[in-house]
Amino acid sequence: MNALVDPLSYREQSPDVRARFQALKERPVVLSVENLYKTFPTPGGPVTALKDLSFQVFRREFMCVIGPSGCGKSTLIRILAGLEDASDGQVLLDGKPVSGPGPDRGMVFQSYTLFPWLTVKQNVMFGPRMAGQGAAAEPEARQWIDLVGLSRFENSYPHQLSGGMKQRVAIARALANRPRILLMDEPFGALDAQTRSQMQSYLLQIWKNLDITILFITHDLDEAAFLADRILVLKANPGEVNEIIEVPVPRPRTPAQFVSPEFIATKYRIDHLIHPEAAHEMDSIPFPRMTVAGDDVE
Amino acid sequence: MKTDPIREKRLREPWFAARRELSPRRASFLTIFSFALPLLIWSAVSYLPFLWHPDVELQISADRENVTTVYVAGDRVSREFFPEFQEAVRQQNKPLEAGLASLDPAAEATNGAAVRRANKKTLRQLVPILAANQWITEEQAKDDAAIYTSWGEIAAGKKVPTRPQLSEENLAIIAKNWAAMSKVSPTYDSDRFVSVPLLGLVPQGRPANPDYLPAPHEVVVSGIKEFTAPPEAERPSMWQRVGHSIRIVFGGFLLATLVGVPIGVLCGTYPVFSKVVEPFTDFFRYLPAPTFSTLLVAIFLANDAPKVALVFVGTIFQLVLVVANTTRRLDLPLLEAAQTLGANQAQLLTRVVIPGILPNLYDDLRILLGWAWTWLVIAELVGVKSGLTEFIETQGRWRNFDSVYPVIILIGLIGFFTDQILSALSRIFFPWTSEASGKANPLAKAILFLPRWFQKSASVHDLPADASGQARESLTNRP
Ligand SMILES: Nc1ncnc2c1ncn2[C@@H]1O[C@H](COP(=O)(O)OP(=O)(O)O)[C@@H](O)[C@H]1O
Ligand SMILES: [Mg+2]
Repeated sequence: MNALVDPLSYREQSPDVRARFQALKERPVVLSVENLYKTFPTPGGPVTALKDLSFQVFRREFMCVIGPSGCGKSTLIRILAGLEDASDGQVLLDGKPVSGPGPDRGMVFQSYTLFPWLTVKQNVMFGPRMAGQGAAAEPEARQWIDLVGLSRFENSYPHQLSGGMKQRVAIARALANRPRILLMDEPFGALDAQTRSQMQSYLLQIWKNLDITILFITHDLDEAAFLADRILVLKANPGEVNEIIEVPVPRPRTPAQFVSPEFIATKYRIDHLIHPEAAHEMDSIPFPRMTVAGDDVE
Repeated sequence: MKTDPIREKRLREPWFAARRELSPRRASFLTIFSFALPLLIWSAVSYLPFLWHPDVELQISADRENVTTVYVAGDRVSREFFPEFQEAVRQQNKPLEAGLASLDPAAEATNGAAVRRANKKTLRQLVPILAANQWITEEQAKDDAAIYTSWGEIAAGKKVPTRPQLSEENLAIIAKNWAAMSKVSPTYDSDRFVSVPLLGLVPQGRPANPDYLPAPHEVVVSGIKEFTAPPEAERPSMWQRVGHSIRIVFGGFLLATLVGVPIGVLCGTYPVFSKVVEPFTDFFRYLPAPTFSTLLVAIFLANDAPKVALVFVGTIFQLVLVVANTTRRLDLPLLEAAQTLGANQAQLLTRVVIPGILPNLYDDLRILLGWAWTWLVIAELVGVKSGLTEFIETQGRWRNFDSVYPVIILIGLIGFFTDQILSALSRIFFPWTSEASGKANPLAKAILFLPRWFQKSASVHDLPADASGQARESLTNRP
């Protein structure tokens, strides 16, 4: 075991952080997931993607969901968005069960889902238009575009934007509906590392200044530890709650904290939960030797 | 001239590199070449007599005894048959020579009248040659006196036919015949005409292609003639025919679009429509539309209605299926995103599905319009034949292929340019597609490129070698 990190040190919270979590848990529950099950019928028999999932998200909380690929993260968020029905259990938004998609839950997808035939501004106005607002939505749409820093591109079409810009518009578009919660399914997964870290700082800025709760799915440890108040770690096959980690890294978050002990401890813990046997696995693979004796690197 | 590094580099680029874009210059060149190549091949086959030319076009023909088919000048016979044909005439001449040489001008043969009639035919064998050399006019083709005089002039060497030249053999025959003819009468007199058989001219001809492959210039000449001919009572002008055909194609196509697009979009959007409509449509599209022609005539009676209906029937089933597929290809996440933004079912259709598929729908319709043109040919044969197809049919039956080709080419050009224009318009209609901001249409580019290319090559030649070199240097040496 790595002697540099105490495996349980992520539980040690500074008084500030402790107070923050106390206050957080006293806030009203925005989203409540109760005993959620999801089974897909497939030709090879039913596949259980989610099993007995229960957790709560508090108002203005930033919660990340992390888990190995294929553990059911997307399935979960699609159920929350109403794009998929749960096999059992229920989802409550502000105490009321949700059924079907609705503008009270904004969603940002990993794939680019801007409407290619609409300009940036028209994309952002799409939600208000669907709700029956006409030109009145325009000044507000401008504000949202300002907020994501794309005023110069309000009349551009999506194909003229870079990936990061597209996702910023997607965020503005979701926020323009004034949702209770913003659901994000690996929204920065397709971006390059630099753009992604920019977008993360960006998202935190937006979140800080708005009355918005965020449920953010990722498979990136750094991203989860940098963004989240709490991280919901899922087990694979089927997806079950493994642990909910309270991130001990104080806010406001800055990239400098990537090397702070709390940050590293958090990442270490997530890694341990997701890949418990990873280290031993590698040892057990019989590698044939392909170098000359004495030419060792370790 | 100094070497130009940019030009050097451009010349070194490989022509064959898998999936690698050609330079715009080469792309334009090849686009033009793709049209020039078939024209070149056509011209080569038409104008180089040693290429193909399986037939002989007769310039001088002849009657042969015991042969029922009569060839006249301008007819084509196969190259294998031609020598046989010539030899037959020579054999026919052989026994006649003695009689002709020992002619007694005063004597009258027993069957004189019949021989004279045959001899007058021989006399007229020269007509195509005389006409080709413009020694007689069209009206004089039956003016035996003028022809008679010409025989004399050719025999005396006063007139030498150049197109085509007469073979030595035929010149000798003309001389022998003229000797006999002039002995009886120096000028034409239908009563005083040789009454022993004259020698027949030996057929002459030039290599030719079959009549179904006319030469480019013949097609151009016939095309100009057909397209400038004024309309007659029973015969519409070519442009009237073109208009008629276009009306039928677009009529049938627009009807099919009006009916088919909404059905296709509904099928692609709602599985319930898809399951009701598509299986039957899929079956029906395999029923060949032409087999409905008599039925359509029975339903829609004469005139254009059954023709429009045939284009409609031929197009609509494909159209529904193609549009349904295009609609289904719309990115599902777009529909999901719209739902999370609060769009209801009706809004999904009108605000997402329809605008989302428009560019692809437009492309589909462009392709289907091409199909509609192929149905036209069958549609115009339904009921009362009409339009361009009727013209092609009739002329083809008369083997006037030089008139048929211009029409075929015109149909191709109409289709091609409609498509090019529609494709260019698509960039204006759909500015949000990445193609719109990307590459221009290659053909348009090639056409625009031509004048620049000539200009460029001209300007390089205009400048003295030193000057152009210096000009370049002064540009590149700028700090
Ligand atoms: N529509 C579906 N039909 C069948 N199986 C599905 C479907 N959607 C997801 N699954 C299965 O559910 C599991 C979880 O998928 P997903 O939620 O996409 O995982 P993640 O987003 O965590 O990578 C996977 O094993 C996947 O194969
Ligand atoms: Mg996923």
